[in-house]
Amino acid sequence: MHKSKNSKHIGLFIFFGFLLFLLGNQVDELRVYQGASVAVYVIAISSLILLTGYSGQVSLGHGALMAVGAYSAAVARNELHMPIVLTFFVAVITTAIAGALLGSAAARLSGPYLAGTTLALAIGLPSLANQFEVLGGEQGISFDVGYPPQRLGDDFTQYKWFFWIAALTALISMWLLSNILRSRYGRNWRAGRSNEVAAQLSGINTARSKILAFTLSAGIAGLAGALLSMTIGTVSPSAFPLALSFSLLAGAVLSGVSTLSGVMIGAVTLVAIPEIADVVAHRIGSSENVTTNLPGLIVSVLLILTVLFVPNGPVEQHHARAAKRAVNKKS
Amino acid sequence: MKAMNRQKLISVSTVLAVASLVATAIPAHAAHVGVSRSQIKLGMTLPMTGAASLGYNKIPGAAKAYFDYLNANGGVNGRKITLIVKDDRYVPTEAVARTNELILKDKVMALLAPLGTANVKAVASSVNPARRGVPVLFINTGFSGFADIKKYPTTYTILPSYVMEAKIMGEYIKENFAGKKIGLLYQDDDFGIDALAGFKTAGVNFAVTVGYASGSQSAAAAAGWITKFKAAKADVVILFAVSSATSAMLGTAAVLKYAPQWMLGSVGGDATTIKLTGVPAGVLYNAIGFSSVPATTDLNDEYIKLFSDLYAKAVPGSPFDLNVLLGMNSAFMTAQALKAAGANPKRKSLMAAIDSKGATFASSALVPTGYSKTSHVGLTGYWVGKYSPTGDLAPIGGTYVTYTTDSGTGAVVKSTYKRPAMPAKGLPN
Repeated sequence: MHKSKNSKHIGLFIFFGFLLFLLGNQVDELRVYQGASVAVYVIAISSLILLTGYSGQVSLGHGALMAVGAYSAAVARNELHMPIVLTFFVAVITTAIAGALLGSAAARLSGPYLAGTTLALAIGLPSLANQFEVLGGEQGISFDVGYPPQRLGDDFTQYKWFFWIAALTALISMWLLSNILRSRYGRNWRAGRSNEVAAQLSGINTARSKILAFTLSAGIAGLAGALLSMTIGTVSPSAFPLALSFSLLAGAVLSGVSTLSGVMIGAVTLVAIPEIADVVAHRIGSSENVTTNLPGLIVSVLLILTVLFVPNGPVEQHHARAAKRAVNKKS
Repeated sequence: MKAMNRQKLISVSTVLAVASLVATAIPAHAAHVGVSRSQIKLGMTLPMTGAASLGYNKIPGAAKAYFDYLNANGGVNGRKITLIVKDDRYVPTEAVARTNELILKDKVMALLAPLGTANVKAVASSVNPARRGVPVLFINTGFSGFADIKKYPTTYTILPSYVMEAKIMGEYIKENFAGKKIGLLYQDDDFGIDALAGFKTAGVNFAVTVGYASGSQSAAAAAGWITKFKAAKADVVILFAVSSATSAMLGTAAVLKYAPQWMLGSVGGDATTIKLTGVPAGVLYNAIGFSSVPATTDLNDEYIKLFSDLYAKAVPGSPFDLNVLLGMNSAFMTAQALKAAGANPKRKSLMAAIDSKGATFASSALVPTGYSKTSHVGLTGYWVGKYSPTGDLAPIGGTYVTYTTDSGTGAVVKSTYKRPAMPAKGLPN
């Protein structure tokens, strides 16, 4: 049963990958770059959905975990001259270790205390880079994945290369994640989230389960951080501001925090909003003050609308309605 | 009803998805990118919102004020300048995304006055204007590394580097405070590292140096720093720091009645920004300061007169300060570069014009620029002044004495540079 479902999923991911490949060849360089950004946000937001939606823990500090991943990948590349694929593994492992440490503390905390702790992390951690020369201070260090291989042709742009790397990584991690979430671990997390006491009574070690969720979520966030810094070619503290952590949270809410399947919605929204705001501002011919504050306003309005009308996210809502209709039909 | 809601939902999601993927129809390589018969498009990204936007968000308004004036007077060879401004919130990721939009979608001819070392570095690395042949004009950062013409072949700096400033401070100390005990407050990152390198070249021996991590500055921290300077009995204390650290230090020192001879770096020494942090400008009184452009209150200066008039008309009620002056000055120099690039300017001819004629461009600055085929270094020095009780920097003895140097080991020399007269009506000729 499981096997056939898994292979169906693999087929779906491969098909989606093929679609992305075709799309990447059709659109111009800006869209390819934005596509890479969407892929990065897909990974980052899914790490938060795993943590919040599945294991019931809150994090306002995922931006900081992304910074850990980004810096470890860049140091592995610059100092140890590792091949690019390995640097992504380094990012995942280093951030997962950081996440395990944080998760151990987090397992003892809940609600506002956990939010406060992770918030402090988001504020404090990136500026730590100023203390170590190897991390390059305020202006940061470079993270260069190199030019695309020559055999891909002269027209193959740097951004298309980024897109390929980011999209492929996103597809693989989404496939892995969706499998983990359907496994024993995923069920344990959901059980713990729904009712911790009941979960403990049924033999689940909820503390360990939470730490594991935090570790995995951090590892994925670290991967997103490494990919993000790949797209901008550098790593610096200012690339991981507090606002990034909040954006990810907004993306997770827009996607529907309790299911992975809507993650594209949040990611696309985060990338598209500044451009949509630009178009709207041009149409209405507004002042500079309005133009610069419009993106924030649009995100806020979308968040309010989501919470009011589709609190579990559009995809989950759609599924719930479909299920309800099916029940109605049967009866 | 439910079906309609679902339909709406699906259509909103589709629109969102498609909005991010719609390909623009304009060909990638137009003959002269960003230049049409009637207009020249320039792009700018800088922090317009967020904590770091304070003061800097006046730069686009200032540049536009000059370009509007220029356009009203015929533009450049009949072409009007359009400046497209995008908010990067001082975040490198945003700077890269917005710059990509400017170059790939808006198809600007050149980028103007981007701000922040980390942002400019990220854009250079990811967007790679050098590879695309896009000029990056008059960047707002004093990091000396951007003068590396091999690494950043299309980038032109404008502010003197932090190394130059420290070297000139060192020379001034040698001339005026020989034998005195000198203290230094510096930011413990590249900004400060550049400064330390400059002081070392100048041969300054400090009685005490205090480094602080960016973001750690506060009144309480300043009280701690003051204890160290007091213990070392420093006669002169240099604040090579950002505005918030400078104002914390001066404000706390005033309360504690600690009054050495202050010497302020140009980054933190802007009275308007210090006032915005809630510290009265009076704390600046008698401090020594450094600047490349005339005092913004010097209405006898023809540039200050013209620029402040234009700005007052364009942005009524907004004070004319250093950021505004630098923004308008960069716009003015850009106009001259476009004019010098010929009847049909292109990216290449624009850069060639700055390489060959940039050093002779008119500018409000009182020090020369170093533009040539082998150098993209902008302003190369400072004049030394003292702050008035209202926080205005005025030249010591009433005349501007300027020093120039380089970011390497070159000597600091008193400059004989005579600023050329402003072209008629402040328009490129």
